[in-house]
Amino acid sequence: MTAPAYNKPLLDVRGLTIEIETRRGPAVIVDGINLTVGKGETVGVVGESGCGKSLTMLSLVRLLPNKIKVRGGTAVFDGRDLLQMSKSELRQVRGGKIGFVFQDPMTSLNPVMRIGDQLCEPLIYHRDMKKADARKRAIELLKLVGIPGPEQRIDAYPHELSGGMRQRVMIAIGLACDPELLIADEPTTALDVTIQAQIVDLVKELRRKLGMSVVWITHDLALIAGLVDRVAVLYAGTVVEDAPVGELFKRPTHPYTRGLLASIPKLSDERASRLSSIGGTPPEPGRRPKGCPFAPRCGLAEPICHEHVPALLSFAEEPRHRVACFVAQRQMMEAA
Amino acid sequence: MAPANLTAFVDEDPPVSLWRDAWHRLFRNKLAVAGLVIVIFLALVAMFGPWLTPYDFLTQNLEVRNQAPSLAHLFGTDDLGRDVLSRVIYGTRTAFVVAIVVTTVAVAIGVALGAIAGYYGGLLDRTIMWFTDMTMSVPNLLLVVVINASLKTPVTAWMEAQYQATLNPFYRQTVWVDFLLVFGSMALISWPPYARLVRAQVLSIRGRPYVTAARALGLTNRLIIMRYIVPNAVGPLIVSVSAGLGTAMVLESAFSFLGVGVNPPTPSWGNMISDGLRVWQHYPHLLAAPAAVLGLATVAFSFLGDGLNDALNPRGSK
Ligand SMILES: Nc1ncnc2c1ncn2[C@@H]1O[C@H](COP(=O)(O)OP(=O)(O)OP(=O)(O)O)[C@@H](O)[C@H]1O
Ligand code: SF4
Ligand SMILES: [Mg+2]
Repeated sequence: MTAPAYNKPLLDVRGLTIEIETRRGPAVIVDGINLTVGKGETVGVVGESGCGKSLTMLSLVRLLPNKIKVRGGTAVFDGRDLLQMSKSELRQVRGGKIGFVFQDPMTSLNPVMRIGDQLCEPLIYHRDMKKADARKRAIELLKLVGIPGPEQRIDAYPHELSGGMRQRVMIAIGLACDPELLIADEPTTALDVTIQAQIVDLVKELRRKLGMSVVWITHDLALIAGLVDRVAVLYAGTVVEDAPVGELFKRPTHPYTRGLLASIPKLSDERASRLSSIGGTPPEPGRRPKGCPFAPRCGLAEPICHEHVPALLSFAEEPRHRVACFVAQRQMMEAA
Repeated sequence: MAPANLTAFVDEDPPVSLWRDAWHRLFRNKLAVAGLVIVIFLALVAMFGPWLTPYDFLTQNLEVRNQAPSLAHLFGTDDLGRDVLSRVIYGTRTAFVVAIVVTTVAVAIGVALGAIAGYYGGLLDRTIMWFTDMTMSVPNLLLVVVINASLKTPVTAWMEAQYQATLNPFYRQTVWVDFLLVFGSMALISWPPYARLVRAQVLSIRGRPYVTAARALGLTNRLIIMRYIVPNAVGPLIVSVSAGLGTAMVLESAFSFLGVGVNPPTPSWGNMISDGLRVWQHYPHLLAAPAAVLGLATVAFSFLGDGLNDALNPRGSK
């Protein structure tokens, strides 16, 4: 596969900071995330539960829950800052230019609406389609995401479909208006292992056909290894490593990434629990350490790690590989 | 490449439809079915009343005053010789008209205010809830009496003045003033529970993933409220509407009984009971007929409401 040109990214998030209001005052949840997604690129965002993956994505279309606010940063999409644009512009982006697929297909579809109507809604709203045309397009979309008998299924209610089917419907809804960017927030977590692989294959296929950019959020690095072009590893609301997928598997550098990779269960490995090799838990919002957020759990931590926050810096020989770790950066310098 | 996505799908057993399921549960409940049958029967009586009544409900026949039930007059006659059965049938019409109009208005107000308060939250929510609590804190009867006392005379006087000025017979139909005041005052005191119920529902539904998903699709708030939130709040609302219809009938009778509701000669169970009460030692049928029908209606709505509650909230029942 030839890598698409990434000179002008489709989405360029810089210094995105998100806070939650607590009784003890505001607490930082996402701390200055930098993330780019090129046109046609597929980026995996990986990190433990609670590290801020979902909130980061929701903040892009300004759908944060009450009490959680963006404190700073920019998110330029197609030349416009999503965090500043007007409500009406934003509504055109939601669903029209950025499509979402959510984690839980059981609860992310409206239980009292036929799936066809849920599919037609964005078409009628964003594309000004007539009801009949929207229905035709909806059947096409269901066919596209591999739902057998779309002419009948279109009139089904969500509870009449299996989990995997529902997730396909969600993907069809996300893709309804040909978005330039599809954000899939752990779309397979709630599904059986075999169905997970089917969904990954489906998105791979769709991306090839439709050429949209994809952000795929997961905590399962192994699952998306064959799908994504690039991986950004998130820890406690910051990007700690960012590299093309092959490079990351060949040369994982940040101690947290290494822990993630080591904890991918081998076939012979009985311990299926994720991240079992990294002791401890991520910091709670409001109790972030002063220096490197990973320091309390890091085996390589040095005094400087507890004092200063490492910046995300590029490798000399592979500028697309960036890491935020003092020790790794020093080793890079020494190797150079 | 062969579409990998078309490979074998194992469809889990799809559960039966939510509503069909609810119907099944409702029909298994004997009391609820009995309630439903009675409610439907009374509704039909109300609807087709004019074709069912053996006599005109207003026609007085002084030769057959205060007769006990007989074949000619199944429920007997009253002190003016009017057929009690015909009056009870018209009373059913009154009860249903009042209950349906009042409940419709109350539900419309309650759903709109409750949905807005729950969805938007913040100051709007606090204002609406303050208003709701305030309305709820006023004693029902007091409010109705005050409305009647303060509005009835001026409105009737105004109607009379209009009639004198225009000679339009419409203004002589004071029945409508009666009804409007009854509808208005009862709707005013009936909407707050619906607003609270819907608000609580909306608060819980608002945070559900499918609502976030709908917002992520860029749909407007209006569309989201109407198609994603309100329909999902409908189950508990149906239960409370069924109970509310029964309550409204009882309220109408109670107010009419006390003389602040529907006034004679328009028949209402309440004012018939009130009339019957004065002579019940001599002519018990005058009290028994309307009281029995009122009791039947109340019990039927209450059984139906309970049955709906169990059918629509399977987890809440045992
Ligand atoms: N509605 C909310 N109210 C309060 N705190 C929240 C809320 N949503 C998220 N958080 C907190 O924000 C942090 C980041 O949450 P987020 O949902 O972005 O994590 P995530 O990386 O998507 O995790 P997961 O893999 O479990 O989906 C968590 O610590 C969580 O406790
Ligand atoms: S900066 Fe220090 S504490 Fe942080 S990951 Fe690197 S070595 Fe560990
Ligand atoms: Mg999440």
